[in-house]
Amino acid sequence: MTTLTPSRHRSLPGGRRGPSGAIRDSLVLGGRAIREAIRTPDSLFPTMFIPLFFLVVNVGQAARIFPSEGTPFLEGQNYGAFQLPASLLLSASFGGAALYLVEEIEEGYFDKLRATPISRMALVLGRLYAEFVKTTVVGTVMVLLALLFGIHVESGILGFVVMIVMVALWAMVFSGFMQLIAIKTRSAAATQGASMIFFPLLFLTPNFVPRDQLTRPMEIAATINPVTYVMEAARSLILEGFDGAALAKGFAVVAVTMVVMLGLSIRMVNSYD
Amino acid sequence: MSAITAVGLRKTFRSGDEEVEAVRGVDLDVASGEVFGFLGPNGAGKSTTVRMLTTLMTLGGGEAHVGGVDVAADPHGARRKIGVALQEAGLDPRQTGREILTLQARLFGMSVPEASKRAQELLELVDLLDAADRRVKGYSGGMKRRLDLASALVHEPEVLFLDEPTTGLDPASRITVWEEVRRINELGTTVFLTTQYLEEADQLCNRLAIIDEGRIIREGTPAALKQELRDRLGLDADPTLDDVFLDATGRTRSRVAGEVKEI
Repeated sequence: MTTLTPSRHRSLPGGRRGPSGAIRDSLVLGGRAIREAIRTPDSLFPTMFIPLFFLVVNVGQAARIFPSEGTPFLEGQNYGAFQLPASLLLSASFGGAALYLVEEIEEGYFDKLRATPISRMALVLGRLYAEFVKTTVVGTVMVLLALLFGIHVESGILGFVVMIVMVALWAMVFSGFMQLIAIKTRSAAATQGASMIFFPLLFLTPNFVPRDQLTRPMEIAATINPVTYVMEAARSLILEGFDGAALAKGFAVVAVTMVVMLGLSIRMVNSYD
Repeated sequence: MSAITAVGLRKTFRSGDEEVEAVRGVDLDVASGEVFGFLGPNGAGKSTTVRMLTTLMTLGGGEAHVGGVDVAADPHGARRKIGVALQEAGLDPRQTGREILTLQARLFGMSVPEASKRAQELLELVDLLDAADRRVKGYSGGMKRRLDLASALVHEPEVLFLDEPTTGLDPASRITVWEEVRRINELGTTVFLTTQYLEEADQLCNRLAIIDEGRIIREGTPAALKQELRDRLGLDADPTLDDVFLDATGRTRSRVAGEVKEI
């Protein structure tokens, strides 16, 4: 080993406090999480493959029941256009950030990060920022693939961007709640198990037909389910163009759940022992 | 001047209806520039004490200052003063050694060029330049421990906490870590070291404390502790630190009527 510079006990501006410090720290940690995702493409693959698989299977099974012509809710498009938002939301609901986080907790690296003077919020936001970026990339690829099969986004490029941003924000919310479970339980098995919540969240929705065509019990369940409004907002952008009311509801759900998730995260990460 | 002070440090854990007092009123005063050893059997309260002093765990009672900063009132400030290498080197296996050090430096506020330069210095310091751009999952136990040590030094902390830094290492790697700890200390960093290896404490520490069942039961220089035992028991020869430890923790062969207890 080589002896180097004498210790100067540096006084660094490290871990600046306040919102700017939290954002800077989150971007630094998020950059690492993105690098991690690039190095583990096998973990990214299911987030695209499984939703596309469901899309192909669902369209294959139901397209003849719901032909473009004669199915008003398709607005002249094929059934794949109606199904695409459900696939995008499925892709956003894998909670990958939480699985990486719990691994980090179990292996001790989370404590290493906690011992640095960074914003506690950055410990949560760093991975969520990466989740936003990953979902943006995966969602974009999925929509581009869908275009090849005759689906188009009625609201145009701006609508496409709005839709991807909304879905990516939803990915942050979902992963954020999964991270809460990871931090609370510190168990990979419990976190993995909890991620199964995406089943009721995604399937108690109007994912096959519009809400007003569901049976009454399913309609009630879908109306209570917040994911319904994100799905309907995304669907409106694909099928109808800009529907202010639908978009307002979709973004309101994302905003409210984001605030709740962040509030709980701050509380939990600050009391983490 | 004190680098670490603790007064009446306490921590109680709840497990169902049961309460376990892991730390029961620990007082510490570690002078600046010391290598201070903190010894004790498994479950004695060593790691819990370290976790409280390093802001990783809230104080159950009492108060503690590190580098003059109150760890409970200003944990953020305390984190700038300390470097931490915990038991079982916690490292991200998907990053390279260089990336881990650069990230750590960035988290302490360095710019990208500063962080890269500091990472290079530290890789040289712990002799990991050849493996710098390999992912950590391929490192040996000794390499991981050295990288962990380096990552605790990115901001040149006033106080370095090492929680069992050589557990699980082969003898050669252990000696390498000892050499590095000495060198870091010579550069002016106070070192607070927990260990189960008494030889390690004897080799490295200016002073040490022995904790058992959450309380400090001996404190002093290794030489003074040995002398005290020799005088008290009227021994003909100098006892070893093992003898001091066994006497202090009550884990003596005579005390358990011939039954040899594992420590």
